[in-house]
Amino acid sequence: MNHSLLMSILILSPFVGFLINGLRYKKHNYLVAGTIATSAVFISFISAVFLVVDLVGLPPDSRRIAVTFFEWIRVANLSVDAGFVVDQISAIMILIITGVGSLIHLFSVGYMHHDKGVAKYFAYLNLFIFNMLLLVLGDNLLVMFVGWEGVGLCSYLLIGFWFTDETKAAAGMKAFVTNRVGDAAFLLGMFILFLTFGTLNFSELNALVPAAAETSWLGAITLGTLFLFVGATGKSAQIPLYIWLPDAMAGPTPVSALIHAATMVTAGVYMIVRLNPMFMMAPNTMMIIAIIGAATAVMAATIGMTQWDIKKVLAYSTVSQLGYMFLACGVGAFGAAMFHLMTHAFFKALMFLGSGSVIHAMHEEQDIRKMGALKKYLPITHFTFLLGWLAIIGIPPFSGFFSKDEILWMSFHSPLGHPVLWAAGALGATLTAFYMTRLMCLTFWGASRVPKGTHPHESPITMTIPLVVLGVLSVIGGWIGIPHIVSDFLGHLPNVWEEWLHPMIKEVPNMGPADASLEWALIATSVGLASVSALVAYHMYVRKPGSASRVADAMGPAYKIVYNKYFIDEAYFAAIINPLVKGSRALWYYVDVNFIDKCTYWAADVAKGGGALIRSLQNGNMQQYAMYIGIGLVVVLSILLMR
Amino acid sequence: MQSIDIFGQIGLNHYLILSALLFVTGMAGVLLRRNIIVLLMSIELMLNAVNISFIAFGKYMNQLDGQILVFFVMTIAAAEAAVGLAIAVNIFKRYKEVNIRFFEHLKG
Amino acid sequence: MTADIFLFWLLASVTLLSGVGVVLVSNPIYSALCLAMTMVGVSAIFATLGAYFIAGVQMIVYAGAVMVLFVMVLMLFDLKTEIATFSRGRISGAIKIAIVGLLAGLIAGTFAMTTTIAGKPETKEKAGHAAKSLGELLFTKYVFGFEALGVLLLIIAIGVVGLARSKGGTHAKH
Repeated sequence: MNHSLLMSILILSPFVGFLINGLRYKKHNYLVAGTIATSAVFISFISAVFLVVDLVGLPPDSRRIAVTFFEWIRVANLSVDAGFVVDQISAIMILIITGVGSLIHLFSVGYMHHDKGVAKYFAYLNLFIFNMLLLVLGDNLLVMFVGWEGVGLCSYLLIGFWFTDETKAAAGMKAFVTNRVGDAAFLLGMFILFLTFGTLNFSELNALVPAAAETSWLGAITLGTLFLFVGATGKSAQIPLYIWLPDAMAGPTPVSALIHAATMVTAGVYMIVRLNPMFMMAPNTMMIIAIIGAATAVMAATIGMTQWDIKKVLAYSTVSQLGYMFLACGVGAFGAAMFHLMTHAFFKALMFLGSGSVIHAMHEEQDIRKMGALKKYLPITHFTFLLGWLAIIGIPPFSGFFSKDEILWMSFHSPLGHPVLWAAGALGATLTAFYMTRLMCLTFWGASRVPKGTHPHESPITMTIPLVVLGVLSVIGGWIGIPHIVSDFLGHLPNVWEEWLHPMIKEVPNMGPADASLEWALIATSVGLASVSALVAYHMYVRKPGSASRVADAMGPAYKIVYNKYFIDEAYFAAIINPLVKGSRALWYYVDVNFIDKCTYWAADVAKGGGALIRSLQNGNMQQYAMYIGIGLVVVLSILLMR
Repeated sequence: MQSIDIFGQIGLNHYLILSALLFVTGMAGVLLRRNIIVLLMSIELMLNAVNISFIAFGKYMNQLDGQILVFFVMTIAAAEAAVGLAIAVNIFKRYKEVNIRFFEHLKG
Repeated sequence: MTADIFLFWLLASVTLLSGVGVVLVSNPIYSALCLAMTMVGVSAIFATLGAYFIAGVQMIVYAGAVMVLFVMVLMLFDLKTEIATFSRGRISGAIKIAIVGLLAGLIAGTFAMTTTIAGKPETKEKAGHAAKSLGELLFTKYVFGFEALGVLLLIIAIGVVGLARSKGGTHAKH
């Protein structure tokens, strides 16, 4: 089929869904709204599949379907097309977005059936898919930026979807404002790249990158990529801009699954992978990305260990896993980053939907202290959640094992990596195993702490189907990227993933030969650590339920700091937000009210007074007018006669 | 400068000064009186003053054109008086008074 | 002092005094009578200037027709002595009087300072002859103005009738 037609269907189908549901936003029929929205995304998914099948049919070195709809901007030497590209990287993204998106839409039909604004909800969700597709398909930074802003808007709308609750509206605001900071940096990065290379097109940018790495800190590439990375930290919730993501859990749970786990938050990773030749030539930026990624992974994991809200735990887990992806980018393992992005999209979406199912069953209860032993009430949810759990803590052969292991191995082995980075990653993996096991224990196993009067029930079929599909994907999703040594061990299974991405990924220079025994040792270490940690958690929360709080008490102030999220929010308020508000207030009072306003009032008074003065001449009294004529006559005559 | 006995010999200047004084008197009436009808009368006064100038100039210039103009002016004056009085009648019908202040509605 | 000179001073004083009377007298009827007196005086001044035809027309049109119009309207209104003869405003009144005085002073002063600009007047012309040449001039050189004046008078006649019949113009209440 015609590629531009397929591309239009792919992009516009969710938009049409948005228009239809957006125009009938007052309707309350969840089935109709859900059917429209889900089918819109599903149509998109089918065209994405067609496009990817066509892409696979092309020879590996020219796998690229580009469609330019029109010339968007042409000013001086800035020329931007509304051009969209499906290549190896964006193909993965569109499959994830539309595929996982369809499942989550389907899940939402069941989850949102009692909500009044259901048509509005589906309209926002479709708009999000549309913008996300713009983001990943755009063939230049500007089109990507349009999508980037669009998903930010949808995220804001959906976090604050229940805007009558003030804290939820505030959470939406926080997400939006924090993202603005990142977006400003993204724009700056874009400006620097345009100034240096004179184009915003990805393929042209990647082709123009010099061959030698830039060692200076203030070079154009380093600065440009650094700013782009700061933009990515905003969108992808990394230190220092991660603070919005935990609060974003105020939105409906399917939204958390779609936007804040599977798709939008990975936009930063996607952007870096898209520009990987550029980033590769800025080793300083790469170092910072790796450090930030590793730090975020560890820090978010520690916070995740102390939280009691099921969604907050998952949110910190997401921040932590995104940290892994950035760590992978930072050590040059872009393929591994994309791989982890995909497996994470599967298992984290699964876990979020599972938590949605739990919350649904518990009648909007999110505190895991009031759950426990839900296994018997929610068999399907429990089983699929179990698969997600095994995937995220990296137990072979579940998907998370392969992607996380690849990242850890690269952070050790790559010339850009460092054993410290590996240690941080392994520590993060250990902590991840601990808090995810804790979540499983407190929610599904152990003794029941369900309050009386709550009767948990398994969710309807529209909610369990997505769970099952994602559960299967979480198990098998990793098998397309089996590491070499494992595949050698198993008998030369092909690493489909690496072959697929190979043409798009710039190799890390000076990569030494892999030492098989070392790799085995590292794999064993991380898996062993994760298993031990999981067992400890199981022991603490199921065997001896009181021991966890004893440990917490023993930790004393350290526990308190972590429990309060390192007081980062408070620090931001004290250091940035409050001074800003105070300064603005002072500016408003002293400059605006007392200076600018006064000046304008004064000017207005002068004009008004002058007008009143002249107006008194025009009083409508005819004789007065005649008097003016007389005055003029006398004056003119005097002048004439005086001469 | 020849000294002229202003009482002994009548010249053009006498008529022009008479005309000017009459004109100014009429003007004072227009400016000061409140009754519209008296106002119209004052206007007639001013027109007549101008007529005197025309005739005097006509005589001392030996031209008849001045008289023609007076003819015209008189016609116009009569017409003007008719229109002005008609308006005065209308105002009177409405306000039962003919005071210039009713024209203050003219202001924008 | 010849008769001419005496006649001028007499007529001038009568005309001016009655003119001032028009402005100062507070009863409109007396104003109208003063105006009639002024008209007659002006007419007489025309006659001393040799414009006999115009003097006659002045008598008929002004002292006759126009004055009748005024008096009739006054009769119609049944106006008595006014309570407030002059318009309000001390400052504007002072300014107005000052303007009038200044203007009078300027014009009269200027004429008084200048010597006679015109030459000697023609010796006496026959009245009939003057009327005849006036008529010729009117129907030759000024014929278009004359005709235009006729049209104007017609329009004004119609307009005044319409105005008199209307019930208050734009403020009409039906």
